[in-house]
Amino acid sequence: MAEIAAATSVPEPRALRRLRSAAGTLGMLLPGTGWLLLFFLVPLYYVFLFSTGLRWQGVTKAAAVVNGELTSFSWSLWGGLLGPDVSLNVLGASVALPLWAVGVVEVALLALTLFGARLGSWGRFVVPASLVLLVLPYLALPLGESLHRIAGFTSADNPSMSLFFRSVSMSFTVSLAAVVLAFPIAYFLAFCMGTSKYRWIVIVIAPFLTSYLLRVLAFKVILTDQGLVNTLLFDTGLRSRDNPVDWLLYSQFTVFVVLLYAWVPFVALPIFVALENQDRRLLEAATDLGASRLLAFRRVTLPLAAPGIVAAFLFIFIPTIGEFVTPQLVGGSRGYLYGSAIADDFGQNNDWQSGAVLALFLIGVVVVLTATTSRFLRATGGGS
Amino acid sequence: MSAAGATVAVSRRGKRALSVYFVAFVALLYLPSVILLIFSFNDNTVPVFPLQGFTTRWYAAAWHDDLLRAAFVRSLKVASLTSVVATAFAVLASYALTRRRFRGRNAITAFTLVPLVVPPIVIAVALLMLFRKGPVQIELSLATVLVGHVVISLPYAMLLLVPRLASIDRSLEEAAHDLGASAVTTFRRVIVPLIVPAILSSLLIAFVVSIDEYAIASFLSANSETYPVYLFGQIRQAQRLPPMIPVATVMLGLSFMVVLLAEVVRRRGDRRLGLEPGT
Repeated sequence: MAEIAAATSVPEPRALRRLRSAAGTLGMLLPGTGWLLLFFLVPLYYVFLFSTGLRWQGVTKAAAVVNGELTSFSWSLWGGLLGPDVSLNVLGASVALPLWAVGVVEVALLALTLFGARLGSWGRFVVPASLVLLVLPYLALPLGESLHRIAGFTSADNPSMSLFFRSVSMSFTVSLAAVVLAFPIAYFLAFCMGTSKYRWIVIVIAPFLTSYLLRVLAFKVILTDQGLVNTLLFDTGLRSRDNPVDWLLYSQFTVFVVLLYAWVPFVALPIFVALENQDRRLLEAATDLGASRLLAFRRVTLPLAAPGIVAAFLFIFIPTIGEFVTPQLVGGSRGYLYGSAIADDFGQNNDWQSGAVLALFLIGVVVVLTATTSRFLRATGGGS
Repeated sequence: MSAAGATVAVSRRGKRALSVYFVAFVALLYLPSVILLIFSFNDNTVPVFPLQGFTTRWYAAAWHDDLLRAAFVRSLKVASLTSVVATAFAVLASYALTRRRFRGRNAITAFTLVPLVVPPIVIAVALLMLFRKGPVQIELSLATVLVGHVVISLPYAMLLLVPRLASIDRSLEEAAHDLGASAVTTFRRVIVPLIVPAILSSLLIAFVVSIDEYAIASFLSANSETYPVYLFGQIRQAQRLPPMIPVATVMLGLSFMVVLLAEVVRRRGDRRLGLEPGT
């Protein structure tokens, strides 16, 4: 107890104590936040510098990268990504739109979907309508080699932007499928299991905490021409041995399956927590008042679980939108995504400037998305 | 709630359907690991059906793969340093954020969590630019990987520590203060013992995040490949695949054990703080 005695022996004036306490607070915060400032914010500034450099003339791109030449400030690289129009294709018909307009409309639709319920009686029409408009261009069916969409954005003059929309579509479809598949699991655990549910939720999530690469490796074994799936098809006589399903590996379908498999256990957690924290008496009250189970589910359980579902969706959407490992391992050339383009710009293409623009654009999208949604989560008291 | 009967949430039939779905879901979730386990003993140079017979030669091959071993040792180094550094930073920062009052507290908390929502590839290329094109040229090495891994594991550590610190009864500290303990002593003798479980799980999570991290390691490790980077290079080529399967099997087994261990530690901590399980 020597320290205690030493600390009490000298009485300090209040101002000095205040100062010491402030210095202590700063000292405790500094290592962590300083690290993030230096190795997270400052690097992003360098990305910005690179993205606004003039495209190099005369010298080869590779040489300029090695020399680190950044001649002067210019938005020209951004113009290349954001300038060209994109076209919205709906069932074969297409409309050309400037990209900024698409961005504004998308953010507005997102906000209306999340906060539309506050518009009172209008909300009943606004929320579903804006949700459908928001979702439709990204909804896809991963079948065969590629994603099949009813509607979607593309850009003929801008391969990167087309790739971006394809990535959003992929992430969106993966997140949606994961939420749909994991919801019954969370529901079952929260409502049908006794205290063993905490043990089971760990068993469900455990695969998520194991090595991602190794789980991808397993799919290489399962989905090859003579893998588990094709062998099953051969043995049941659905396919002949010389005619395996060749798009099981190295296609957008593969990327979809692997991403879904990787993330689905994790999604169960936020949904489970949301369901678990609900006041059960609300459900009982609804039933006592004559609501059927389906009605009680639709009007009580689902609205209360909405923040958990939205959080779960976002938890997958954000990491998968920059995904480049899965496409490289199991996507082949058909499964190329936006993240792959960034990786290639910094890797084999050695075009850091273009890569910087792509990376910053991705951050911008993610930040807007997170900011809007986290406001929603805070407003509804869900998420943490 | 009765074990078999209907409740307000589910009918009896619905419950049966859900339990069938649940069993199928968990089985499918673990199927790939089982497949890897089977193929790790398969006597064939390509991992395809039909199975060819039992062998342990892939295990032997993996064991004698010196490059793999070197990469693995590097990964262990980076992961253990990452877990210690990130946890230490997070303990200090989360203590300041939950116990001291100052302006911009929420903003700082949010800032420490931001790397969580930034795709890792962006962090990787941003750091690559800082090190290669920044004011000071820094050679890429294991140290640069460490820098990146601390950035991405800090938010996880914060997420584990902030709620735990916030849940500690303040009267404990007030009592220590009234008894004449200095801030440092209170922290060391009162707070730290109470957050030991959270510190342990933070160490574990940061370790797991780092040891499995590919994006940052692939851009920042240069010649000192970490184990995921090496693994990635190997599994891209079909003929290099078989010796990696036993590695996968062993690593998956180990990580399942670590997860279970972490859960046990967490529960014990909850009980110590008198919390309900699962909160």
